[in-house]
Amino acid sequence: MNKTLLKATFKSNWGVGLIIAAVMIMYAFSIISIYDPNSLAGLTDMVKMMPKELVAAMGFEDLGTTLTTYVGNTYYNFIAILFPMIYVIIVGNRLVAKHVDSGSMAFLLSTPNSRLTIVKTQALYLLSSITAIFLLLILAAISICQAMFPGSLDIGGFLLLNLVSLLTFYAIGGITFLFSCIFNDTKQSLSFGAGVPIAFFVLNMLSNAGEQMSWLKYFTIFSLLNPTEILEKSSTTLISIIILLMISAITYTCGIVLFNRRSLPL
Amino acid sequence: MSIIKVNNLTKTYKNGKGIFDLDFSVKEGEVFGYLGPNGAGKTTTIRQLMGFTNADKGSCTIMGLDCRTQTEEIQKSVGYLPGEIAFFDNMTGEAFLKFIKEMKSIEDKSRMHDLIERFELDPSRKIRKMSKGMKQKVGIISAFMHDPEVYILDEPTSGLDPLMQRNFINLINEEKSRGKTILMSSHIFEEIDKTSDRIGVIKEGRLVTVEDVHSIKASLRKIFIVNVGNQKDIDIIKSSGLEINSVTGNQIEIVVSSNYNKFNQVLAKCNVLGIEILNQSLEQVFMKYYG
Repeated sequence: MNKTLLKATFKSNWGVGLIIAAVMIMYAFSIISIYDPNSLAGLTDMVKMMPKELVAAMGFEDLGTTLTTYVGNTYYNFIAILFPMIYVIIVGNRLVAKHVDSGSMAFLLSTPNSRLTIVKTQALYLLSSITAIFLLLILAAISICQAMFPGSLDIGGFLLLNLVSLLTFYAIGGITFLFSCIFNDTKQSLSFGAGVPIAFFVLNMLSNAGEQMSWLKYFTIFSLLNPTEILEKSSTTLISIIILLMISAITYTCGIVLFNRRSLPL
Repeated sequence: MSIIKVNNLTKTYKNGKGIFDLDFSVKEGEVFGYLGPNGAGKTTTIRQLMGFTNADKGSCTIMGLDCRTQTEEIQKSVGYLPGEIAFFDNMTGEAFLKFIKEMKSIEDKSRMHDLIERFELDPSRKIRKMSKGMKQKVGIISAFMHDPEVYILDEPTSGLDPLMQRNFINLINEEKSRGKTILMSSHIFEEIDKTSDRIGVIKEGRLVTVEDVHSIKASLRKIFIVNVGNQKDIDIIKSSGLEINSVTGNQIEIVVSSNYNKFNQVLAKCNVLGIEILNQSLEQVFMKYYG
């Protein structure tokens, strides 16, 4: 790892991260603020008036009975997937592929730092910035819940839900990072780095939308992030965590190793 | 001792271009001019030396270290200037130079500041808004700031104005006198002429010749165009045994390589009205390898 590079990468990317975190916190605030423990049934009725498939696709079908299940189902089925995904797509591409495409990688590699050091530093930035976004979100969401509905949030369950979400984005980040490492130009890196997560996202929505398409859940990473099951402390959560960790480990390692070995067009 | 060694290096690209069985070395303290038309393989060779690409065959070393596998160690003693300069977006020249300084773990800022002054760079501007020449200066300063033992420079003066080009040539000659080893690709004969000890010419990926500049210069012939008073003088010169290129009226072109004394003696017998010298340049010698 190289501190100077980490600092420079932070300087050119923190803005995107901050905007994403701010938007996510804003959504969290609006979703939590419309929660009313007495009329959750009423809210469920209102949701039922909307087109069934659309509601299901966004995961709003079953809002549960507590603040935690409500937040889990409204927020972690959609908002908590969409925005980190946008972040990871933008930044993942910038971290390696953009430097190779523009040629600025030549300057990085002409300093006495190995390719491994450079690419590991970039990977570290991606992982730690995703972590930071989720930490901000967790802090904000817990504070908002405690301020508006003291004691209503199942903090343990909520933290577990966030842990699985975070690991999901370690994995998605790993995928965009891998594509960023292996392609010579940003066009390719971006089409794969964005295409694959977006495909997962669409498949996830489709698989939620109806029984006939539920088999699609086997083709998307996002089905491993299932708020209802996580909050029920289902045993499948542990399996999800293990799979997500494995995907992350494999994608980051492959990205780093392949980048170290390949020919760069600098 | 050879500092840079290229052994049977081959790298073929998909379009059939590349470098083939390249074999040469650059000795310690030597400036090696690397010439060749566009697309001949100069930058491809330099990429190999920098360890950016994997070779199909052969290898290259700098100070005995393998260019592809021991890059990190090599970069401590190499200053590299890329042919196409791309920096970090949105950084000012100052921020970028500071960044490179830290990446290279340089403590002493004085050399960087000397170079900034020498090239009259205003580093406070955003690099994105700099002209080609200003970017080139930033690149040169990045390459030279850690006072390395070896320089690898890809068309170092492109974009520089004539004054800065001269400035750069002086810098190269200073570094040479300090014992630095330099490999420099270029299209500009003048800068190669003024700096290089040896010249390698690459064409279509193959090294066509490596020549010693000092011996070429010694063997360069000079053509004197002499205007004389009358036909009698022409006859004296013709019968003197000097090498005559052509005669037009009272003007005669005499080729001289080493026999200056005889040239003098012959002319002393004539009524000389004027002498012009036609220098055969390095450019004329090497032009035949282009095209």
